[in-house]
Amino acid sequence: MIPELEIIKPFSLEEAVDFLNDHPAEARIIAGGTDIIPGLMQGSKRFTGIKYLVDLQQIDELKEIIADSENITIGALLTFSQMINNDSLKNNFPLLVKSASTVGSVQIRNRATVAGNFINNAPCADSVPPLLVYNAKIKLLGVNGNYEMPLSDFLIKPYFTRLKTGEIVTQIILPKPKKEFIGDFYKLGRRRGVAISRITLAALIQIEDNKLGEIRLASGAVSPIGMRFFDLEQKYSGSVISDKLLKNISSDLGKEILKVTGLRWSSEYKVPVTQQAMYLLLERICSAHKQVK
Amino acid sequence: MNDKSSPRKFSRRKFVQGVSTTIIGSYVLTPGVSKISEKLEAETKEIASGKKPLNLIVNKVRYELMISPETTLAEVLRNELKLTGTKLICNHGECGGCTVLLNGEAIYSCQMLALDAGEKEVTTIEGLLTGEELHPIQKAFVEHDGLQCGYCTPGQIIAAQAILLKNSQPSKEEILTGMSGNLCRCAAYPNILKSVLAAAGYLTEGTNR
Repeated sequence: MIPELEIIKPFSLEEAVDFLNDHPAEARIIAGGTDIIPGLMQGSKRFTGIKYLVDLQQIDELKEIIADSENITIGALLTFSQMINNDSLKNNFPLLVKSASTVGSVQIRNRATVAGNFINNAPCADSVPPLLVYNAKIKLLGVNGNYEMPLSDFLIKPYFTRLKTGEIVTQIILPKPKKEFIGDFYKLGRRRGVAISRITLAALIQIEDNKLGEIRLASGAVSPIGMRFFDLEQKYSGSVISDKLLKNISSDLGKEILKVTGLRWSSEYKVPVTQQAMYLLLERICSAHKQVK
Repeated sequence: MNDKSSPRKFSRRKFVQGVSTTIIGSYVLTPGVSKISEKLEAETKEIASGKKPLNLIVNKVRYELMISPETTLAEVLRNELKLTGTKLICNHGECGGCTVLLNGEAIYSCQMLALDAGEKEVTTIEGLLTGEELHPIQKAFVEHDGLQCGYCTPGQIIAAQAILLKNSQPSKEEILTGMSGNLCRCAAYPNILKSVLAAAGYLTEGTNR
């Protein structure tokens, strides 16, 4: 059983922010509820002390998808199923849509929201590595108005973000990558459906005449939270593509992950597997690029 | 007036709670001269216990209920409406036993608050029957032995219905993807797949007739 609660259904963002600020310790936002309802049901410590759930479903502006020449901006209430069925997102952000189609199961994707995925900030949040390689920014609304922040700054540590009490993530801003960018997403789980990821990797690279332009790499599940590898990206940007180069990038990625996680009992297995997975991912991207040409 | 109200702000609920406590209190004290109807008494008791009204449309029948806000859709279906075909197995959104359709889309009813389903169309396994006659998917599961113990079957059939509503001729892959959120501990998967493929055939035959 879920402990006694009240459900608040504000009709505007202002109303929601006001209520959250009036009840800082006791109110929590609910969107799809696929993390919070099972969490409450199981008595998870992360959700103790909640007396009010602020359900944002009535606020239609949080469900909009707005496209302009530079960005596609998606409302925070967009579900994974809605994302998978959106052609414009499919064309511009294929890695994100691919990751969305691996989240949980149909039943979960029909309810769970993309914003909820990174606000919950579980290490295994499938959509986070793709969002990071697309340089996603988020728009927040608090008592002092709207402001933006890169997603990579927003995520702090497992299950913690920079979301302040009384604030709402309203939109996700996805800058459209230039045409030369090509990428892919990889997920390893224990099974195909309803699987918690063990490894997720996203790579988005710019290829010009057999040379790497900008590279963007991100991992999830094997790192404490979804993260980018900015140093590594800088180091290899501009290199001539070869099998050896792809191996070096993958090898360095494993070392970087080891630096962040420290040596764990599973490292002996996970690091080489992650390196190999990244190598295969990069190889696949490079051969896909050749085929397009 | 109310021992629980101290740290919270004054709200309408607390007000009604306070008033109803007083009304019920006076009723108990002077039973002989009460002017409160039994219905009103029942209503005030429900409001006093923090219940909220819910209009739920299940299998095309409209229900007007009073429920505690923290009740999940699965709990309302099973405990209030006695539609026990919807199964609660893991109760945290992993196994698929509680799958129902919400406006035609498969969802886990254990993972959703009942209040969230207000005014939406819910379909449970009971809603697939026409009188005593089985739905073509149910027939296919019987004929192709798409179950062993049968406990996950209502969820499996509803998940299959969600697929077939959108795509009358799904491929094997599409069925496997669409039903990956429904686990079967007996591992009757091969026959579940056969059953859904057969059901797709029955349904198409039916529409062609």
